[in-house]
Amino acid sequence: MRLAKLIGSLLVLCSTTWIGFYQGKKYSNRLKNLIHMEQCFKILETEIVYGATPLPEALNNIYKKGNKRVSFVFRDIRNHLISSGKGDVFYSFHSVIEPLKDELNFIEEDIEIFLSLGRVVGSSNRQDQEKNFKLLLNQIGFLQEDAKVERDKHEKMFKNLGILTGLAIIIILL
Amino acid sequence: MGEKDIRTYNSVLGYICLDLRNILKYVPIQYKRVVEEIRLRSGSPMNICFQGRDYFIAKDGNLTDEYKDGILVEKRYIDETFQLISNYSIYAFEEEMKNGFITLRGGHRVGIGGKVLYGANGIESIKNISSLNIRIARQKIGASNRIIEYVLDSSGTIYNTLIISPPQCGKTTILRDLIRNLSNGTYNLKGRGFKVGVIDERSEIAGMYNGISQHNIGLRTDVLDGCNKQDGTIMFLRAMSPDIIAMDEIGSIADVESIHEILKAGVKVIATVHGDTMEDLISKRSLNLLIKDRIFKRYIFLNNSRGVGTIGDIVEGDTFTSIINKKR
Repeated sequence: MRLAKLIGSLLVLCSTTWIGFYQGKKYSNRLKNLIHMEQCFKILETEIVYGATPLPEALNNIYKKGNKRVSFVFRDIRNHLISSGKGDVFYSFHSVIEPLKDELNFIEEDIEIFLSLGRVVGSSNRQDQEKNFKLLLNQIGFLQEDAKVERDKHEKMFKNLGILTGLAIIIILL
Repeated sequence: MGEKDIRTYNSVLGYICLDLRNILKYVPIQYKRVVEEIRLRSGSPMNICFQGRDYFIAKDGNLTDEYKDGILVEKRYIDETFQLISNYSIYAFEEEMKNGFITLRGGHRVGIGGKVLYGANGIESIKNISSLNIRIARQKIGASNRIIEYVLDSSGTIYNTLIISPPQCGKTTILRDLIRNLSNGTYNLKGRGFKVGVIDERSEIAGMYNGISQHNIGLRTDVLDGCNKQDGTIMFLRAMSPDIIAMDEIGSIADVESIHEILKAGVKVIATVHGDTMEDLISKRSLNLLIKDRIFKRYIFLNNSRGVGTIGDIVEGDTFTSIINKKR
């Protein structure tokens, strides 16, 4: 009986700790992914402003050169762009909102910045594109700072909360 | 021949936005073969042109003369089409936009209308695109077979030749085929072709796309794409040692000077010009100089009295007498 209780308690503790860590990890993931995303934006900027590479090819190059954890969205955008044949870049950027939320742990504001890239990319001359990239990179910098603060605040809290909740449940049940 | 024309038409449709493409798909086959231009103007019905006439397109793809039945082009359609034409990359076509057109794969040209923005160095770009004119390029292999014997000289070179025609009568098509024939040397030349330099100021002759000619312009042809005639002449003469230099649409005094440069170097010229009759040419100051100096030995007049590219007359350049259908 005592052994069963011990195993049960351990199971509860493990699962709540795991939930706590999982929730906490979202915050550090978001920060990491925002940093990778910034890198991808910079690659795209170079492709467009200095290389004048056509957009589908540029998107493919980001996928190859960037960190695959994040850069896969650009490959997806390219594929969508070509297969839809609709002539609407923003529509293709829109098609990757789900993975941004689910896999990259992006929040509304991050997605909004990402979509604003979709609104302007390719639609004007190089000078104009350069200005837009400057603004976007600036904004993504602010988001990273915000993500850092959030991570410091919440990651530890969720981890502790997981363990403590587990312990509390065990105490109550015992 | 017809199959190829339909394929060309269908390949152009890939550059037109989905909504309009779905209508243009249903244009009857006999028209698909001959369409020369597809015109989109914001707020006006879609228009297609061929054989000197234009028609509107109804919702079911049929042609109509009644503008009220025509499918209206929304601003959104123009924007989406322009995205497809520029491959979603307007920044990559900055230079082309300054000239007012973009060349597509296949050598088709898209003329652009909209708000022109000026910068310190002339035209900077075009914004708020309001109209697009998609000109379908169709190469007619063999179009110049009838005239080549008039162009060839008995001493194994060619005569300086001027091709004269009103717009849309096949001037560039004939010139392109003449270049192909002379360069390949396949027609009456027993494989001995000429080195031809093409100054393709408006990207119409070779239809260069990413450095590859989209038309068959022959084995011994070099192209300077988007280059003006004065610079092109100097560049060719310096290092490319051409036998013949070909150019489209001459007209300005500077063009006449380039032709003189070419002749000084002992190279032959083939050129085209807008016009109808010899009087037309004489009335143009710059061309008058060339005619007076007896620079051109052959004048080929085109019209569309019996279809595009009908050879109206061929005039000898020293005596100004017609030599068509007479032995040289």
